[in-house]
Amino acid sequence: MTIADLVAYDMKRAESLDGVCAILAERHSRGESTVLLAGGTDWVVEQEMRKPQEVGQALPLVVDISCLADLRGISFQRGVLRIGAAATYLEMRRNLDILARAPMIERMASELGAMQIQGRGTLGGNLATASPAGDGVAALAAYDATIIVRSVRGERRIAFGDLQTGYKQSTRAPDEIIVAIEMNLPGEGTPWIWRKVGTRRAQAISKMALAGIAVRSNERVVRFGLGMASVAPVTATLPKTRALVLSKPLPELTAEEIDNAVLTDISPIDDVRSTGTYRKHVAKAIVRGFLRDLGASV
Amino acid sequence: MKVSLNVNGQSREVDLPPLTRLLDALRGPLGLTGTKEGCGEGECGSCTVLLDGVPVNACLVSIGQCAGRSVTSVEGLPDTAQNGPLARCFIEHGGAQCGICTPGILVSAEALLQRRPDPTDMEIREAIAGNLCRCTGYQRIVDSVREAAKQRRENGAGA
Repeated sequence: MTIADLVAYDMKRAESLDGVCAILAERHSRGESTVLLAGGTDWVVEQEMRKPQEVGQALPLVVDISCLADLRGISFQRGVLRIGAAATYLEMRRNLDILARAPMIERMASELGAMQIQGRGTLGGNLATASPAGDGVAALAAYDATIIVRSVRGERRIAFGDLQTGYKQSTRAPDEIIVAIEMNLPGEGTPWIWRKVGTRRAQAISKMALAGIAVRSNERVVRFGLGMASVAPVTATLPKTRALVLSKPLPELTAEEIDNAVLTDISPIDDVRSTGTYRKHVAKAIVRGFLRDLGASV
Repeated sequence: MKVSLNVNGQSREVDLPPLTRLLDALRGPLGLTGTKEGCGEGECGSCTVLLDGVPVNACLVSIGQCAGRSVTSVEGLPDTAQNGPLARCFIEHGGAQCGICTPGILVSAEALLQRRPDPTDMEIREAIAGNLCRCTGYQRIVDSVREAAKQRRENGAGA
């Protein structure tokens, strides 16, 4: 399949969420694949890199979900931020609740691609692609987000840590659609970090990226969330590093134990964007920098 | 697939395979060749158009996703006639050289000026950061947009 072959695909426009679930269930039961298309910033580009379609090979049906009202919108109620799976990054960075209560999401959405990409890209799409390089997904990891999926069997809530199982693999079933993402937000003014390291300060696919939030009480961190992109087969949640930071007062943390925890938590490789060695170095430095800003003497 | 959409303020209908790129629909049946294809993979911004007022790369948008929506290409910008401030400033300040990136940059600039009539240089640079230009080094484009914004404010237009 090349980009010139895009015209061979059939596409349906989703009329309702139940309708999409029915299409997914029916096609899956027949062994037929379905592509749910939102902004197309990944999938359309991927078509250009594919091998030519083999004669007789069945094409997936494309279902356009970009305008489905059930997947749109951003709301904030009782401390929970809910972002529709097809809400765009541009909508996120301009949302007043996000600006006030989740500034890290705003910063991430502002740096992840050009305006033209921000206007089309969605968290649902990046979660479905399940690439460990996704900036938006790293931010969700830091908030320990819940991913809400739906099928003809009903709605299911997946904790972030239970979603990704391997490189571009997830526990979302083939007949499930991602509906929304929910996050319990910490209070206003909670310290956070968003640090994207790439060939440009913004827009380039990350060599690595760190998202973090930290709720402090006196000298201790009582809620600590981290998400790191491009350092493992899945979005890294750095459980050892989190546990270490929660285990003792900030002034008692040492640089060596932080570095060791970070290195245990990640397994970066050499690829076209960077090297494993560089990624390890930057990961340690950025996590330490965040903890230093929080009050650790590292 | 028959798709009805609004293009540059006019109701249009095309009958194309649904995943035809908006870029090809514009340059083909819609007869609007101002939108240029550069990379064809969403990197260079040459094919930038507005979809319901939001800049998008027309090479990544399917015509089937445009049903009932409004598309503005460079031909439909309010300000690109030769005597409009945006076009004139690009000419006078050297913002356009080889010209391939220019339609996309004019569209991105228009989207910025509609939201920010008095943009900072940083805002101008961010707005055009998804539009690659290999001629100008960007400074002349920034100068052009800044000056166009000033003239539009003075004319009371585009605010």
